[in-house]
Amino acid sequence: MINPKKWLVPTLYILFLMLPIYGLLSMSFKSTNEILGGFSFFPQDFTLDNYKVIFTDPTWYNGYINSIIYVVINTLLSVTVALPAAYAFSRYRFLGDKHLFFWLLTNRMAPPAIFALPFFQLYSAIGFFDTHIAVAIAHCLFNIPLAVWILEGFMSGVPKELDETAYLDGYSFPRFFIRIFIPTIAAGVGVAMFFCFMYSWVELLLAKTLTSVEAKPIAATMTRTASSSGYELGLLAAAGSLTIIPGAVVIYFVRNYIAKGFALGRV
Amino acid sequence: MARIRFKNVRHAYPPPKGQEPVYALKEINQVWEDGGAYALLGPSGCGKTTLLNIISGLLTPSEGEILFDGVDVTSQSIAARQIAQVFQFPVVYDTMTVYDNLAFPLRNRKMNESLVKERVEQIADMLDLTTSLKKRAANLTADGKQKISLGRGLVRSDVNAILFDEPLTVIDPHLKWQLRSKLKELHQQIGMTMIYVTHDQVEALTFADKVVVMYDGTVVQVGTPVELFNHPKHTFVGYFIGSPGMNVIPCTVDNGQPVFAKNPLPIAQPVNKDLSGKLEVGVRPEFIDFADEGIPVNIEKVEDLGRYQVLTLKHEQETIKMVLNEDQTIPSENPKIQFNPEQTRVYCDGWVVEEAAHD
Repeated sequence: MINPKKWLVPTLYILFLMLPIYGLLSMSFKSTNEILGGFSFFPQDFTLDNYKVIFTDPTWYNGYINSIIYVVINTLLSVTVALPAAYAFSRYRFLGDKHLFFWLLTNRMAPPAIFALPFFQLYSAIGFFDTHIAVAIAHCLFNIPLAVWILEGFMSGVPKELDETAYLDGYSFPRFFIRIFIPTIAAGVGVAMFFCFMYSWVELLLAKTLTSVEAKPIAATMTRTASSSGYELGLLAAAGSLTIIPGAVVIYFVRNYIAKGFALGRV
Repeated sequence: MARIRFKNVRHAYPPPKGQEPVYALKEINQVWEDGGAYALLGPSGCGKTTLLNIISGLLTPSEGEILFDGVDVTSQSIAARQIAQVFQFPVVYDTMTVYDNLAFPLRNRKMNESLVKERVEQIADMLDLTTSLKKRAANLTADGKQKISLGRGLVRSDVNAILFDEPLTVIDPHLKWQLRSKLKELHQQIGMTMIYVTHDQVEALTFADKVVVMYDGTVVQVGTPVELFNHPKHTFVGYFIGSPGMNVIPCTVDNGQPVFAKNPLPIAQPVNKDLSGKLEVGVRPEFIDFADEGIPVNIEKVEDLGRYQVLTLKHEQETIKMVLNEDQTIPSENPKIQFNPEQTRVYCDGWVVEEAAHD
């Protein structure tokens, strides 16, 4: 028998969390006039117009495409760079290794605003301004250290005898690393990719500062629309609802491994 | 197949900053004959694993050379040395099936797939893994995984030597015994050099033809189990092999004869008169008897272990253990003991003092 009292608190908590998301979703099916007219729990005049605008107007859907492009570039770049770095931290002892490892973390402690201005100037100077790669590289500042930390935890969980056995069995280091080691820590790679994806996807300040038109992210589009042609709250709600989707899709794939990442204290 | 020779091998791990290097291996000269079954016995931290890793090439020694059949391989790569090594804890390639795990070392040597199949099935049969060949290695229990590790070590027939680093630690006791006899059987079948690291003397004595006892970074004695038992060259060997271990008690030497707390101890051959260093006399508990004349003792404790009894005796401050068969009786008044002169030896700074002439 399930005790109904046990369900009460989690249910209330989940309802409390879901409330703003429901509000957003229900707003996205209303027209702006209805939203401004007064509060109603269900859309009185159900409409899909907001979504239609987003999927047909290039200024809107390009925002999504831009965001996805730089987020994917960033995720791949961060994990590719972090894999060998994490391997070095987990397997070798070298001068200052512990200090360097901790220093990586301190990169995550500074607010992105600090870097906005120097990045803006630097990327403008070398002609990277308003490109996807600029945002992707800028986000590496936070994501590489994060990925190194997550991956190092997973790698240290693999005994170094695995490396040694592979050498004894006739594998060279590069072959071992790619064919055996990376598949062994696939869960860790998944978790690292998820977090890189997530941080890059939600980061607004750098993405907005380093782009203007060509690589403008969806979040930036959303902030600008609110002020340009009056209130377009319905449109904004629809855009917001769509922005939640990629994160939800990605977390679905790594749901079983996230807990392990947290257990290692690395996330 | 090769005869492996260590020539003046020393090894030190990189020391913490500003400290002198500590040698994990101090000067080893040792020959491992082709086809021998060796057990490497010693306490934790005495350098056994370091020695294995030097043979397989995972470590390059700080000094000295390793020769395979007279060829210097010190700087040769791990793969070129053709050594199989099994570690203490199971190492499996989680992403592969059991079959692929076992086939892995063979496939890497470009072996014909039908030969691979034959060989893998043979090894799987030997280790009772046939039913799980199709399973993913990650889903096996700890001892199942360790069997895969063992199998991967044994699967190649062209290796120079197989090194086992305490391979049965994680395995159930009854299975342990079974696997050990299988290893032994396999050794007799194919006659490959096997070096088996352990700190369990029973394991060492049952597996090996020759036992190499290590202590504090050096090889203290190499010999058959019987030699180690009857003629320990170092107090450590006497203490480590046998249960209970050899009695080691401080003594002085007077006129070639050891004297323990004013009791002269008869020995077979007088020792050299001028010995300097810490002098001790060693005698196994099995070679002590009660007698009418001898060293008076107090009996502190009697442990009855079924077929024999272990007595803990005390003379002044020294504790002496002795073993009595179950049919022997313990004297009720003023017990006195005597050591068997043939099996009583004098040790100087830990090393046995050979009869009169120097070792």
